[in-house]
Amino acid sequence: MLSRRAALVFGLSDFVTATLIVFGVFGALPARWAPVDSVAALLAASKAASSAMLLAAATRAARRGTPVGSTSASDRWAWRLARAGAGFALAVGLFLVSTLALTASWLSGVYGTVGRGGAVVLALAAALVLPYLVVLPAVQLCWFAPKSEVGARG
Amino acid sequence: MSAGTLARGLLAWAVSTVLACAVLHRAFALRIDRDHPSAVVASVWAGGKVVARAVLDSKVDRAPALDAAMQAHPGAMRVDESIVGEGLLWVRPETVFSLSLVAGHDGLAATFDGRTEYLTPDDLLSLQVYEKGIAVPGLGFATGVDVPVVFAALSERFGVSALDLIERARFRRIRTVRSPHSLQAPRVTAETMTKGDVRAAAVAAAEFLARGVDADGKFRYMVDAPGNRTLSGYDWPRHAGATYFLAQMSALTGDPAIVQAALRAANRLRERGLTDCGDHRCVGSDAVTDLGSTALCVIAFVEVARSHLDTSYASIVPSLASFLRSQQRPDGEFMHLYDRNARRPLDVQFLYFSGEASLALSRAHSLLGDPRDLEAASRSLAYLVGPAWSFFGSRYYFGEEHWTCQAMDDLWDRAPDMGALDFCTRWSAFNRKLQLGGADSPFDADGAFGLGPLLVPRLTPAGSRTEAAIATLDAMRRAGLDAREQAALDRQIRRSLALLIRHQFLPGPVHLLADAEAVRGAVPGSEVDWQLRIDYTQHMGSALVRWLSIAKSE
Repeated sequence: MLSRRAALVFGLSDFVTATLIVFGVFGALPARWAPVDSVAALLAASKAASSAMLLAAATRAARRGTPVGSTSASDRWAWRLARAGAGFALAVGLFLVSTLALTASWLSGVYGTVGRGGAVVLALAAALVLPYLVVLPAVQLCWFAPKSEVGARG
Repeated sequence: MSAGTLARGLLAWAVSTVLACAVLHRAFALRIDRDHPSAVVASVWAGGKVVARAVLDSKVDRAPALDAAMQAHPGAMRVDESIVGEGLLWVRPETVFSLSLVAGHDGLAATFDGRTEYLTPDDLLSLQVYEKGIAVPGLGFATGVDVPVVFAALSERFGVSALDLIERARFRRIRTVRSPHSLQAPRVTAETMTKGDVRAAAVAAAEFLARGVDADGKFRYMVDAPGNRTLSGYDWPRHAGATYFLAQMSALTGDPAIVQAALRAANRLRERGLTDCGDHRCVGSDAVTDLGSTALCVIAFVEVARSHLDTSYASIVPSLASFLRSQQRPDGEFMHLYDRNARRPLDVQFLYFSGEASLALSRAHSLLGDPRDLEAASRSLAYLVGPAWSFFGSRYYFGEEHWTCQAMDDLWDRAPDMGALDFCTRWSAFNRKLQLGGADSPFDADGAFGLGPLLVPRLTPAGSRTEAAIATLDAMRRAGLDAREQAALDRQIRRSLALLIRHQFLPGPVHLLADAEAVRGAVPGSEVDWQLRIDYTQHMGSALVRWLSIAKSE
């Protein structure tokens, strides 16, 4: 089960994540590359679907006055989809951060000093990826854990 | 998954990633030992080509083949490249290979069937393969080495196909130190740069451009320096800009060769560049002409006239200035194109043109005193530093447009605009933040404006932005603004000028050039891009002349 407030917050955050992925990959990147585009499309779609189902579940739960997933089968599906989406996002995020870090290590090995400019670029890249694709999905996975007592978390 | 399991998993991921990064960095980092080179690649160069090579244990070793080549080729030069570091090199995937060599510093060693061949940094510079590998569409630059050309060179050396090499050869990255050090020009820095350095650099730049002006007044627009080959392409704005610089240097030096070249180039612009745009004169030959060509033509003709090279050019300026004024909108902005068939302006805008027009009208007024030119220039300047640069975040971001601040300074005595000076002060401070320091990249880039630490910075932005920065400093001094801000800007300017002088071919790496004297004084595109376009040298030269003019008044 999930509280209405949690479903609402996670639904909105998934919507923001989906929007950022679409703008970041399909709007900002100057070229198209199937491996990146396809993973980004899957990720955005899963986050958008998760967002829609969580928000719908929150709305239904508000009408009923009960937590999400306590009685409705579609609420439980929203919960499962949100968990799956969070797991996928975390996997992508961990892979992306590792790849960025390894690339930076390789480049600094080859080029030596990269100075303040290089550090700023890497910090910005990490700052853009970590909150949405590592921290948020990790928190979601904890929150959506089957044994969690949603009511206690409010 | 419980929270504890997830936390442990994330911790394991973080630790393994950090360890993998450390291992990867160590595997690719070079351990440089300048005192104990592993080998010395000694080459005899003649006419920009290697005519003999030997790999020696030390620089004092002799090789009969090298001695014979030195005797056989009068004027040949022996250059030693000591290998002071070696490291891992992956040739696949191609992108990784392309980015694995630090431009201008790294070469490679390939071992195939027990035989080792070296492509040293000098070889790669001679082939001009650095920064030609991976094009970045949209941003207009390329980075990394040109892998197919590298493999073609290695294939020729070994006499086997590139595929054979990729599959069977072993590759190593090498870092070299070149000697004799006399090949390197004395290292000019912001601290050591003197007026003499600046004047010598400006004169050499003008002499290079002047040598390239043919009897018809046409410049050698683009030159491939290693082969001293003239490349295709031409345009009037750059012709006008180069003419302007030659006129400036004619006034400064009185050198007959520079004076005559300036006059030939100006004459070509007058005879072949001018055309009718409705009731006015303008520059161009196509049905649609642009504002920038005419603006730069005005700047060049005013310089030719006011430096008394040929005062008759003053009589052409009014009709050109009236064309510029006719393109101005009521709000001060210019319409940048003119349709000659339809006899009407086209209200579109491009980078640079408005600032160029503002400066051109200011210069026209200073020569001829037509108040309409002053009014139009002032109105344009007010627009450029006001509505044209007013958006959320405009205090934190600026473009590379470098004419507006020159117009601001030019107008200062006749129509001072404190708002424009404030804009230019902020623009300069922004550029100072972008300016690379000596430790920011592996390149000789202190004072440059680049796109990050891994890309070799282009030199032209240092020249063009410094022209505008010097103009800003000049106006700041006349306005009596904050001395600390002036000192910071002065240092910024000196760092950029020193950078340009360091990279100017004075004479440059003569052993890699087919005809070093032909390109002496030129400014290349970058530390490793040795295509010489006339505006590269012109922007640097005009910046040097400006600096000399304000240094003179100190």
